[in-house]
Amino acid sequence: MNKSRTTKQSERFVNRRDFIKLSGSAAALLANGTLTRNVFAGRQNLTPKPKNILLIFTDQQHIDTIAAGGCRHVITPALDRLKTSGVSFTQSYSANPVCSPARSAVFTGRTSCETSVYVNGRSIRSDIPNLGQWFSQQTDYETFYAGKWHLPRTYTNNIPGFKVINTGIGGFGYLCDTAMSRACEGFLRNRSKSKPFLLAASFMQPHDICEWLRLNMNNPGQLRYPELAGELPELPANFEFDENEPEATRNRRLGNEPFKGNWNKEHWRYYRWSYYRHIEHLDAEIGRILSALEDRGYIDDTLIVLTSDHGEGMGHHQMVRKSSFYDEAARVPLLFSWPGHIVENKTDAAHPVSGLDVMPTLCDYVGIESPANMRGLSLRAILEGNKGPQRDCIVSEGNSNTGRMVRSQHWKYIKYKDNAVEQLFDMKNDPGETKNLTASSRYAAILTEHQKMLKEWESRLDVPSNIPNVDVWRQMG
Amino acid sequence: MAKKQSKRTIVGSPLTPVLLKELGALNEFPFTPEDFKPDGNWTNKYRIWTCHGYRESSNENVGFVRLKRIPESDKTFTLNIHQEIAQTDDITNIIDGTIKCRNDILASPVQWNLSSSFKDANRKHIAELSSINNGPGTKSIDGATGDWCLFEMVQRLAFDKQNSLSFDLLEGMSLSKPSHRLFYRGIYPIKTNEKNISLHCFVQLGNGILPYEYWLDTRHRLLVVTSMNKAYILDDQAEKSIM
Repeated sequence: MNKSRTTKQSERFVNRRDFIKLSGSAAALLANGTLTRNVFAGRQNLTPKPKNILLIFTDQQHIDTIAAGGCRHVITPALDRLKTSGVSFTQSYSANPVCSPARSAVFTGRTSCETSVYVNGRSIRSDIPNLGQWFSQQTDYETFYAGKWHLPRTYTNNIPGFKVINTGIGGFGYLCDTAMSRACEGFLRNRSKSKPFLLAASFMQPHDICEWLRLNMNNPGQLRYPELAGELPELPANFEFDENEPEATRNRRLGNEPFKGNWNKEHWRYYRWSYYRHIEHLDAEIGRILSALEDRGYIDDTLIVLTSDHGEGMGHHQMVRKSSFYDEAARVPLLFSWPGHIVENKTDAAHPVSGLDVMPTLCDYVGIESPANMRGLSLRAILEGNKGPQRDCIVSEGNSNTGRMVRSQHWKYIKYKDNAVEQLFDMKNDPGETKNLTASSRYAAILTEHQKMLKEWESRLDVPSNIPNVDVWRQMG
Repeated sequence: MAKKQSKRTIVGSPLTPVLLKELGALNEFPFTPEDFKPDGNWTNKYRIWTCHGYRESSNENVGFVRLKRIPESDKTFTLNIHQEIAQTDDITNIIDGTIKCRNDILASPVQWNLSSSFKDANRKHIAELSSINNGPGTKSIDGATGDWCLFEMVQRLAFDKQNSLSFDLLEGMSLSKPSHRLFYRGIYPIKTNEKNISLHCFVQLGNGILPYEYWLDTRHRLLVVTSMNKAYILDDQAEKSIM
């Protein structure tokens, strides 16, 4: 073991005197965001760290798309394997249900406004380290990135902190994900096992449903494949929508293909059937990587994380795609697997979690501090079957910094700028988000409480002044 | 400032040969000789074309696949595969190899030796990303066929709506996708280069894929394959499409 590695290992632990010092100032540091809670978990950790880390990133994956999770419309052996071998979260939310902003949050642990990626196609602020940069500086993991990046370019040779396996064809997951997974397979099969790696394998699928929508916008009046008539998934229970939604949500719906193309219910069902086929395509490509991981003997030494940038409307509330705070677009799969170290086949429905939690969790597992001002928390305790971090809520931001969603254990509160219509949903008794409770005086205190939560959350952020609408939220906060 | 209006027109309908012609993806098909034998010795080259779903933008050739059928005996034949798909920044993924198939209705794969490799913009081999796929190993492949095998076997099928085939798909000879079916859809006219021709269409439905449509001429030569936003278009100059 070389000297620098020894030093890094020893720095993972803190002596009693330092711990008391830290404890004394912890409240203040936590309050202003300088110190994250997971620093304690990481420093007290005496268990081995994973030899390798595989972060599987999918694009536009609805949370309910895994057969082992109860979705009966798909065959997903690879996703099933990940789900049953570890912990999956059912209340897992995108930090911003749009591609680039969500990615910036996952790869930095900072909100999309803070990273400057408040909309698609922007770079992460240069003074905020991404996962690759942080791991390169703080650990001996070699860091690799394959597939979609989108910060700002969709595919690029140049991702700070990562050696790039640059496969992909902008927007064509149906073709390029195969090349990406083949490249990852080659990487895993050829690599010397001596040095630990962090590999991000970032798929484009099932995002191709966007291309599908454009190629199937016009309602043909009859099913293109009558043979499928008996196989189409039913419409969701919350297919109808509230006529009094915020304008931003209404406009989003009306701008989408189903309304331009005047879809009938059968066409909606055919769209859902098609989305599930995209999921299966993705699953097979993930399976290729898992097979290579297993064949090379990496599977027991590798912490695997799978998440997505955002979900997919899938006809709920007659929405398609992303960029909405309804659960279908805002919730995403979040799975962790590491045999022998993470609880197997556990579904956690108790903790609202966020894409912001990925970075601090990975830092915790490798025994390093997270970068300053993490907005997420390490989920390690939950993954190992212990009591998890307690927090009042998680918050998601909206595209172009025009909205906010606060999700607490029981409630969801949504607010768009320049719009008097707010939304409050009882997520325990109305998980389909069909009854907006803001007009009822009975829920006034709940509404106020969530407005206050948002205010407190906003006050902790470090948002550059040139981000659009920053004053809107600051005034609110 | 007023929001800039998008000039892109959504295509709106699934890809078909007629639509591909409208979108400029094809003009005319190579001539099929009168003595073309689907079960003979032939080479078909296809351009691989993709579409974002707009009429005016992001429609492009991204690669090609070349299939060469070599009869071996009454019972078997060999398919030579060479596929290149260009990635961003001119990295190319190359699939190369052979599949020995039974001369049955599914072109059932018996044995295969395939490689996946990558070349950079200077056509330099990126050794660390290569992989080999030799099969079948210990996996049972009874009742299965490969996606490239389908390009061969669909040419040997009768144009008959009464027939339907069921099989499992071994995509790329590596990814198992169960419960597929292939059936004849019918005959459709298309005008190419001032000539009216008829195309016969087969449809494939199954797990892990969007529907595939196979379009053949009356001599049973496969001219076009469409699936979602991609098309394989028979083209003698296919290799030049990504040069």
